[in-house]
Amino acid sequence: MALFLGPACLLLFLCFLAPVVVDVLLAFTDMGRNLRITRFTTENVERLLTGDRRLPGVLAVTGIYVLGTLAIFNLTFALVLALVTTAMPTSAGAFFRAVWLLPRMSPSVVYALLWGWVVAPTDYGLLNQTLQALGLPPIDLKSDAPVALIIVANGFIGASFGMIIFTSAIRSIPEHLFWAAQVDGASRLAIVRHVTLPAIRWQISFVTIYQALSLLVSFEYIWLITDGGPFYDTTVYALYVYQRAFNNGQYAYGAALALGLVLIGITAALILWRLMDMRALLQRPRIEVT
Amino acid sequence: MSTAALPLAEAPVDWQALAARARLRRRLSTAFLYLAMTLGALPVLVPYLWLVTVAFSGRTGASTLVLWRTLAVILPALVLASIVGMAIEDQRRRRRALLLIGGAALALLAIVTGPYLHLNNWRFLWNPDVADALKGASGVGTKFPSVWSAFFNSLAIAGAQMALVVVVSTLAGYYISRFAFSGRPLFLQGLLVLHAFPAMTLIIPIFLMMYWVGLQDTLLGVVLVITALELPFAIFVMKGFFDAVPWEIEMSAMTDGASRRQAFLHVVLPQVKVGMLAIAIFAFLRGWEEYVFVRTLLVAKENWTMSLYLFWTITDVMGVDYALVSAVGVFYVLPSVVLYTFTQKYLTQMTIGGIKG
Repeated sequence: MALFLGPACLLLFLCFLAPVVVDVLLAFTDMGRNLRITRFTTENVERLLTGDRRLPGVLAVTGIYVLGTLAIFNLTFALVLALVTTAMPTSAGAFFRAVWLLPRMSPSVVYALLWGWVVAPTDYGLLNQTLQALGLPPIDLKSDAPVALIIVANGFIGASFGMIIFTSAIRSIPEHLFWAAQVDGASRLAIVRHVTLPAIRWQISFVTIYQALSLLVSFEYIWLITDGGPFYDTTVYALYVYQRAFNNGQYAYGAALALGLVLIGITAALILWRLMDMRALLQRPRIEVT
Repeated sequence: MSTAALPLAEAPVDWQALAARARLRRRLSTAFLYLAMTLGALPVLVPYLWLVTVAFSGRTGASTLVLWRTLAVILPALVLASIVGMAIEDQRRRRRALLLIGGAALALLAIVTGPYLHLNNWRFLWNPDVADALKGASGVGTKFPSVWSAFFNSLAIAGAQMALVVVVSTLAGYYISRFAFSGRPLFLQGLLVLHAFPAMTLIIPIFLMMYWVGLQDTLLGVVLVITALELPFAIFVMKGFFDAVPWEIEMSAMTDGASRRQAFLHVVLPQVKVGMLAIAIFAFLRGWEEYVFVRTLLVAKENWTMSLYLFWTITDVMGVDYALVSAVGVFYVLPSVVLYTFTQKYLTQMTIGGIKG
């Protein structure tokens, strides 16, 4: 019966644990474009800590991007969506939630293609057509406000995660609390502030950490929409790691850079794991993992 | 309201009017919510609608004419339908009115957009050389592969990955749910940490390991990697489902003479079909849309998946024929959307497993 667990262990070992070890080792080699290791060195780490002039800018962009997306979309907007769709009749709420899940469900290449078209500075760009119809001057988001563009593009996807978690959390609040608040004459906003929000506090901190982590390490949409440009304006840390390794062929330096992400990832994962009530999670009988 | 109204018997309260006013206020606030949500949903929906209209009507350019015309019909129809839906109380009359509005909108849509519709953009389905004929400065050098090769590669990756995830996580979930083995708590905790851990950070070592063992630029390599990434979550889901199956069912099967294996196959497995279905759909969608690992690990054109095919079509043909790009995009996104729409019930409860931001 031990065969039952074998395949899972093997795959998890090969694709999670072994790569971490390989990455650490690789960071101390000189692997370049030819994918060969000739000697071991600490050059990469030194370069990472002192010698990379590009790095401060990349870190700043990463900070703005992660905090901006998290604060505006992944938390605030997600919360608004969850509150509004739960206040609606069930079927209408489900419809609007489905709409906001569409960006997450459609393949990333299609999603990026659409953004490229929407913000295109030419005549056919949807955004500029709308602006002109409203009598506003046209804008070229991709070169004038690229950080705002990647925040919005990622935020449209990120909002649905919090929306789902918050929705199921709001649904599980005992209904009599709302009735009691209404009888006491609380307004809608007061109910949200004093009943709903305190009840879903745990979910809010969970979403914050989980989404901060995934924003920090995911670069797929940025890569597809702006490719880090113009210049390095939207090159976030994770994308920088990837480009150093696969575009410039500096695999060893890329691995050293990735170490930073791996450390952040492990820390955040441990925090998350602490945050989750272990026993409740392990005995969870159905698919809702929260 | 009650303190003022109750003691004054000589000034009778018009309960009817009060109720009517409350109803009106409720309707207004509901209407406001609907309006806000609809306006908010437009930026999400309109680009997809645009993609579809261009795919069926565009001639090389990404004209927005058909899109605006379509919206000009659909939006008023929606507003009218919601007003009618709220105004008519009788159920049968309401349904008849809504059907009438829908039919009228469709007919109007056919009239205003009909002359622009054509299927020429879909020629990539039967003419594999279409991209080559169009492209100028090529990013990929020589010939484009047939779209069907990319389609079946994507299908193979998504399907194989789905099968692996379901089999491996079902076995592991059952074992964890039923057996007390040494190191079980450690394994469970490790699984939880792995679930939160972002595998995207490991792309460089994973690429090198694949290169060293000769799995780089093979579909098998991609399948193994994506499977492993999905596993921590899938195992947890399956364990949860097995936990919900009472132990007594298995016990009674074995009392009746079934072996442990038979009890598992014929008695327990049918109980967790829903869970297997859910992770299967999720894994399939995940494999179908995969881009980063596919782009990194696959190079050869005969290994292209749909995501790479669309990406290179965009890169190579963009500026020449947007309509073709749209058609490819619709062709790619359609399976995802259809599958998602019909299985949304399961998936909305599982999004926590996604690693996307």
